[in-house]
Amino acid sequence: MKLIYRIALRLSAVLIPLMALWATLFYFMTVDEINDEADDALADYSELIIIRMLAGRELPPLNSGSNNSYSITPIDREYAESKSHIIYYDAEVYIPEKEETEPARILSTIFRDNDDNYYELKVAMPTFEKEDLVRTILFWIILLYLILLITLIGLTTWIFHHSMKPLYTLLQWLDNYTPGKHPDPVPDDTNITEFHRLNVAAQEAAYRSEELFERQKQFIGNASHELQTPLAILGNRIEWLLDNTEPNEKQVEELFKMQRSLNHIVRLNKTLLLLTKIENGQFPESTDVDIAALIREQVPLYNEIYESRHIICQLDLPDRFVVSMNDSLASTLVTNLLKNAYVHTDPNHVIDIALHGRTLTIANDGNAPLDAEHIFDRFYQGNKKEGSTGLGLALVKAVCHYYNCDIAYRYTDGKHCFSVTWP
Amino acid sequence: MKILIIEDEPSLREIMQRALEQERYVVETATNYAEADAKLAAYTYDCILLDIMLPDGNGLHLLEHLKQQRKRDNVIIISARDSLDDKIRGLDMGADDYLPKPFHTAELLARIKSVLRRGRSGGEMALRLGNVVLEPESSRVLVGGRELSLLKKEFDILLYFMQRPNHLVDKSVLAEAVWGDHADQADNFHFVYAQMKNLRRKLTDAGADIEIKSIYGFGYKLIPPVE
Repeated sequence: MKLIYRIALRLSAVLIPLMALWATLFYFMTVDEINDEADDALADYSELIIIRMLAGRELPPLNSGSNNSYSITPIDREYAESKSHIIYYDAEVYIPEKEETEPARILSTIFRDNDDNYYELKVAMPTFEKEDLVRTILFWIILLYLILLITLIGLTTWIFHHSMKPLYTLLQWLDNYTPGKHPDPVPDDTNITEFHRLNVAAQEAAYRSEELFERQKQFIGNASHELQTPLAILGNRIEWLLDNTEPNEKQVEELFKMQRSLNHIVRLNKTLLLLTKIENGQFPESTDVDIAALIREQVPLYNEIYESRHIICQLDLPDRFVVSMNDSLASTLVTNLLKNAYVHTDPNHVIDIALHGRTLTIANDGNAPLDAEHIFDRFYQGNKKEGSTGLGLALVKAVCHYYNCDIAYRYTDGKHCFSVTWP
Repeated sequence: MKILIIEDEPSLREIMQRALEQERYVVETATNYAEADAKLAAYTYDCILLDIMLPDGNGLHLLEHLKQQRKRDNVIIISARDSLDDKIRGLDMGADDYLPKPFHTAELLARIKSVLRRGRSGGEMALRLGNVVLEPESSRVLVGGRELSLLKKEFDILLYFMQRPNHLVDKSVLAEAVWGDHADQADNFHFVYAQMKNLRRKLTDAGADIEIKSIYGFGYKLIPPVE
């Protein structure tokens, strides 16, 4: 979810209870104020009537066109003493002129005349319809909410895009960043302190990661070189034992096993060196390489080496497919893919090699899909094979990366499919 | 035959020296650039084994000095850096061969013999053992003067053993040398055995007096005729 959507959503969410609270408060305040005004008027009116009555003067007409009405009822003493003398309340009052009931504010006053007779005066004054008020307030509140929301979100978006520009510039730079490819410096044309700090931090992180990447590459290269001499010594000492000490059968077997383990290390070391060299771009010279011919030449070799597995290899190749590559890297690419297919195919199963357009596909029968995300990682081995360096597919990927080829793995119809597409 | 080993790593120097002395070469050693430079200025050698990564200088400069002095010593570069650039530069500067570390002793001896033979016979590269002559350039094998026709892999195996008489070779090492790096994960070495069987039969049928013997079922050794 984009940050701006999140902000808009949160703003809307926060505004809803806020507006509801505000509407409730507004309603009660309004009602309270109107009642207060009505009560004052009622008090004045009832005072006027009581004074006139006590003075024996003419009472105001019942209907003076104001819809105000009153009634005076004589009451007995007990009733008068049992009730509060001044009560304000809301009630529905029937208005004969209109022939309907209307909500009204009523003041009931109990008073006593000079003859000690008790009267109850009820003064009624039609007021507003509360439901109408609630409806009106609700309508305007919703309208206010919407207008406020649109304005707020519009403003926020505008301000957001203007102030967050440096962030999006940085994000774009990060998207384009690939470790080990000497990136452009982080664009930093902002005077906002926080973003400037972020840019500086990103730049430093990039430098650090570049340096680490470089150092790691160098370390692997140096370590591999340094290993060559001791490996040579060890190998030669084993050979000397074999040729000069007349070992018995058991000893020869052990020495051969040592030699094989040693050869495994030597291979590992050479492959790491090769990877380092590819990553350092030390294979500049390219020639025209015929991939189809290379495959035709290699397949019989693998058929011979893995003859005991009776693997059926089906070729679907054009006469020629020429690409511009370093010939030793082209052969690294093809042989490692072939070797991978042969090593991981069960006896009596099929390998399909096809070259269509600019895509080479090598498919072999398999039981379960491999972890497509890690299969090209160094030393990742789905099922460990003895003598395998675990670097074959990493090499393939490095070569593809070097020549901007697309390398993909997928598992379809019980087949592992590796495809390389030349640009 | 006098050979100079220029190598800073004592253990490797010792092994090379021991192996060469066993082959009846006269061996001298230099442990660094300065010592090597002094020896090269004073003496002449039939073959120089040169490690180009020396603690006090680049071995390639020694090659340059030799060239300037117009000496015709054979030089085999031994390097931990198996890079095409170094190889091309070394060979361009007059080295006769380039051997990347780590190497097999037998490989080193084969290269020395090959370099010396080339130097001596002015280009004649044939390998001779007993009544078998193998010409790597033309891929021909003669047994007792008669040509023996071999398949490609059979020829490669014979060449490999002719360069390493009396050395015990593991089947897996042979497979990698002849079939390439890809043979390392084969389930078995039937394919080596099959080719070897044919080669041995052909050699016997042609009356060769060398024999590639199977040793305990793990490896092979070429036995030259006793002189």
